[in-house]
Amino acid sequence: MIDAIAPVRLALIVVFGLCGLFFTFVSMTGVLRLPDVYSRAHTASQADTLGAGFTLAAVALAAGWDGAGFKTVLLLFFIFVTNPTAAHAIARAAFEEGIVPWTEGDERR
Amino acid sequence: MADGGGLGPKGGSVVVPIESTPTLRATVTHLVESAADGEFSAIHFVVFATWREGDPEAFDREASVDRLLERVSTWAEADLADVDDVDVGDVAVATTVVGGDEYLFGADDYVRELVAYADDHGIEHVVLDPEYTPVGNTTLLQSLEFALSRTDLVVREAPVARPTRRERLRKEATGIRFAAIFGLSLAFYLALGDPFYPFDVVTGVASATIVAVTLSRVSLDADPSLARTPMRLLRGAVYVPALLFEILKSNVVVARVILDPRMPIEPTLNRVRVIVGSGLPVTTLANSITLTPGTLTVRARDGNLYVHSLIPWARDGLFDGSLERWTRFVFYGREAARLPTPRERDDVGIFQGPDATEEYPGARADGGSEREDPSAASSAANDRDDDSDTADGEVTAE
Repeated sequence: MIDAIAPVRLALIVVFGLCGLFFTFVSMTGVLRLPDVYSRAHTASQADTLGAGFTLAAVALAAGWDGAGFKTVLLLFFIFVTNPTAAHAIARAAFEEGIVPWTEGDERR
Repeated sequence: MADGGGLGPKGGSVVVPIESTPTLRATVTHLVESAADGEFSAIHFVVFATWREGDPEAFDREASVDRLLERVSTWAEADLADVDDVDVGDVAVATTVVGGDEYLFGADDYVRELVAYADDHGIEHVVLDPEYTPVGNTTLLQSLEFALSRTDLVVREAPVARPTRRERLRKEATGIRFAAIFGLSLAFYLALGDPFYPFDVVTGVASATIVAVTLSRVSLDADPSLARTPMRLLRGAVYVPALLFEILKSNVVVARVILDPRMPIEPTLNRVRVIVGSGLPVTTLANSITLTPGTLTVRARDGNLYVHSLIPWARDGLFDGSLERWTRFVFYGREAARLPTPRERDDVGIFQGPDATEEYPGARADGGSEREDPSAASSAANDRDDDSDTADGEVTAE
């Protein structure tokens, strides 16, 4: 299967896969580094948008434009609808609880 | 049309928010009978506008609301004539539309409008139609009764027979909303499975039925329009690549800020008043804002979105309103997308940090200042200054 894939396509798959990995890494760094629940919710959405986006693009390329590739696009669509909904639910719950967003000079929480 | 205000000699006035429900007729009768018994001297039937003047569909919606109000006053007149009581002549009936200048997003907004109307007309009582659920306020959100319980108004539900749950579902089952949800779910299921494999078709129909029965009331707050939906889908297809580009751009900027310890973050909570309809349009906009790294929608209230921004760059992008214009383009067309940015309209506010322009809002709709963290409120107020680099983003506190 692999040797049937043209070199350009293989290179694209690798590049997309690495990009996905990079943004997932950034997202993980952000969750560890940022100070409070709101700012962490920001960066968690990065893993889902570009992290999953690039990875799924790589999968779609590897799978080809038949059934599997199409399903990958639908999967991405699903993630793009559900991810911000979940992020909003977390942020709104925090706001309703009276948690004030971190500003410069505050303690880390 | 609100001409029946004023306190009567015996009872106070009552305000009744209405929409077209199966129990509306009985609710009107109950109110007229209560008034005849001397409980109320004036009855105000109000409808919350779900449009803003100037929306493309405003005219149609206004006409249907006018018909509803006309029907209600006819019913009330008929009921008044039926009651053999000399006092009945004193009962004033008023019908009116409120909230036409704003989009109302949730229970908080409806209650605020209702309280304002009650204050204007010296009203102390609210009677709710048991089937009343304002458009755009689905069962998933906080209930209107709960929001009303935090006000000074005396609230009760009209004691009229509710149709049973089973009847209600059957009624919905024939609706166009049910068909839309069912069709969409089935199409999605079969796209993932194999439309020519009988097992997938049977399980797909079963799943789509379950989804449609449980969610058609929740997912759609208006019947999908055959005239508008295809155009919206087409324009949505134009929007998706544009949104992907925005996401890519913001991702790169935010990734740099996160990875480079020398680049500081400056998170603030902000307010932006958006001019999009309640329900699906505002959900699309809020989701798009959240999808874009660096901005996160925290709350939709009073026609405003409360958005948390990680860095000033993301906040400026939000205040430039490109996603708002795109949303208006998708839902209302190219003409509607031409509008000034939120910054130019003075529809923005910053609650925190050195550029703060407004007080940090409480978690609750009715003021709520007593519940919030006092240190944060004072820091937001004290940090106000006049840096020249904020001049273009400066708005005055309301």
